[in-house]
Amino acid sequence: MKALLIDSTRCIGCRACQVACKEWNELNAEQTTFFSGKGYQNPPDLSPNTWTLITYNEVEVNNRFDWVFGKLQCFHCNTPACATACPVGALEKTEAGPVVYHASICLGCRYCQLACPFKVPRFEWNKIIPEITKCTMCADRINAGLEPACAKVCSTDAIVFGEREELIAEAEERISKNPTLYVHHIYGKEEAGGTCVMHISNVPFKEIGFDTKIPMNPIVYNSSHAMKPIPYVLTGLGLVLGGVSWVVNRKKELEKETKMGKEG
Amino acid sequence: MKNIKVKEVIKYLKTAFTKLSFSGKIVWSLAIFGIVLVIYRYAIGLGGVTNLSDGYPWGLWIGFDILAGIALAAGGFVMAGTVHLFGGHKYHALSKPAILTALLGYLLFIFGLFFDLGRPWNLWRAIYSWNHASPMFEVAWCVMLYTTVLILEFMPIVLEKFKLDKWLILWKNFVPWIVIFMLGMFTLAMSYSIVWALIMVAILLVWEVSMRKGWMPRDKQMPIILIMAGVMFSTMHQSSLGTIFLLAPTKLHTLWYTPIIPLLSLFSAIMTAPAMVTFESLMSEKILKHKSKFNLVSDLARWMPYLLSFYLLLKVADIIGRNAALETFNINAQAISWWLEILIGIIIPLILFITPEIIKTKGGLLWASSLVVIGLIWNRINVAIVGIHVEKWEAYYPFWTEIFITVGVVAIGLIVFKWAVENLPIYEHETVSAV
Repeated sequence: MKALLIDSTRCIGCRACQVACKEWNELNAEQTTFFSGKGYQNPPDLSPNTWTLITYNEVEVNNRFDWVFGKLQCFHCNTPACATACPVGALEKTEAGPVVYHASICLGCRYCQLACPFKVPRFEWNKIIPEITKCTMCADRINAGLEPACAKVCSTDAIVFGEREELIAEAEERISKNPTLYVHHIYGKEEAGGTCVMHISNVPFKEIGFDTKIPMNPIVYNSSHAMKPIPYVLTGLGLVLGGVSWVVNRKKELEKETKMGKEG
Repeated sequence: MKNIKVKEVIKYLKTAFTKLSFSGKIVWSLAIFGIVLVIYRYAIGLGGVTNLSDGYPWGLWIGFDILAGIALAAGGFVMAGTVHLFGGHKYHALSKPAILTALLGYLLFIFGLFFDLGRPWNLWRAIYSWNHASPMFEVAWCVMLYTTVLILEFMPIVLEKFKLDKWLILWKNFVPWIVIFMLGMFTLAMSYSIVWALIMVAILLVWEVSMRKGWMPRDKQMPIILIMAGVMFSTMHQSSLGTIFLLAPTKLHTLWYTPIIPLLSLFSAIMTAPAMVTFESLMSEKILKHKSKFNLVSDLARWMPYLLSFYLLLKVADIIGRNAALETFNINAQAISWWLEILIGIIIPLILFITPEIIKTKGGLLWASSLVVIGLIWNRINVAIVGIHVEKWEAYYPFWTEIFITVGVVAIGLIVFKWAVENLPIYEHETVSAV
């Protein structure tokens, strides 16, 4: 499975990845104002036209304030909650790694938004024919043997593209070579059952806007105990309801017959 | 020429409107206003008429129109099952209005889906595009199939009215096969397994053949298999509306997020069924001047203390078992709303239902059952709105257009219910009750 590794210590906040993403995916620019989000973060949040975003976090590092940059985008989970949630399979985990969206069959129920623990999918609220939008990990580029636009354009190699296993090994190596610099955790290695977009950082992930309460198991584990028994419950009901109605109604018939017999 | 016709139509509508009673005028106005707003919603998209956001993608329409609406329609399968499967023939007079309410509830629910979904024209795709891991896929199938079952259950009432006896015979002969096909397909879609589907079909065939051969008692009015299908689809539907929220472990508050939420969802709907039937019967007496079957609903009321105490036991055991009991003593919107849900929907009605002086009067019974109904709605709103907390997003509260569209839907429901009661043999003179 292909994946991305993002290293906050290497990111300089140039936002070339944001621009490259818009260019490749033909997304419109957004009208924004200064300081509408966190500091210089611009635009303030992900949107139907912004599929990736560099977050500007003012964090205390070694007793002084510093900017630490995070990157928001779809995490491309190994077992995505959105793909589990989607009733028609409009969201699909591909073998290559990316989670892709098929607008033509989407109902617009927005269950994917509720299910996504990373709160990534964005809905086009103001369109008459709306779609769910999110990063596709440039699935079209990957299929053509290229790397995603954001990784391609990153000038400091803060975003690296490669095989997931190799990237995990690389992240572990970077942390072990520089144990005082990095937080000893690869965000995305196990979160929500593992993701194809992974982060390493020099400050606790909570401080750069990552949700640290996300369960380490795939989200689908929370519903499988309710979904798996369905055929048993269905056939069980089929047997029990039929049987009960047979017994109950036969009893009634017998009662009626004895009554009739007595009267006659 | 055209002008004159339009004028005539307007004149006719004007006189029809002035003939309505005062409350009738209000209901019609609300219904029309709701429809106007729905048209407006299609013209500008969901963002313009709702306060929904990417953090809170579901709001009042999901909580009230859909979750509460479907739960309140449970009277249909509970009463039909009680009468035709469990030998409660004496309740026959209550089952027809209950089936009508359920059918209306489901049709309004589908209407509600059409303006809540972003791309409703794709709804039918769930028929062939399967994802059986998704609780929403189960919901979609249950909606389609149970609505079909309700239409089939309701058909004899219409056929009777228009004296279409030939069609009635055709209906009786065909319905079991339609039902067997639907349940077979449903089992296949939910399990992806031909074996399970065949087991299902085999079980149903055994019952149907036994009935046709005369070994198994047969309901002369209603194919047993149709009633069974209603109970089965409803069981799956009511529980799956709880299952849906299992995929939001980090968003739904611990007071409501529990692995047994499908069970609670199913049981609370079943528990509310007798209360809803009672509420309706007494309210139609008040408003539509149909004599209520007070003896029958009083009889139903005897079940309520057991149902309510069992539900209370489930709720309390669940919250203690998950170590979440202390959460209820926090002072925040969620804890307060949880207590109100428990007090209004369970504890106060439980006290009312076990006090004979209160429950033997029409007023007392109406109050007690209304509280159960309100408590259920409160629970669904809690699960879908109050209990959902998504960090970084401003809290959701409904926009006025959301409220008026919901009010419009309820108004349409009232108008259709009144029309059906006045024009179809719903509340009838005890003729058909023999098995």
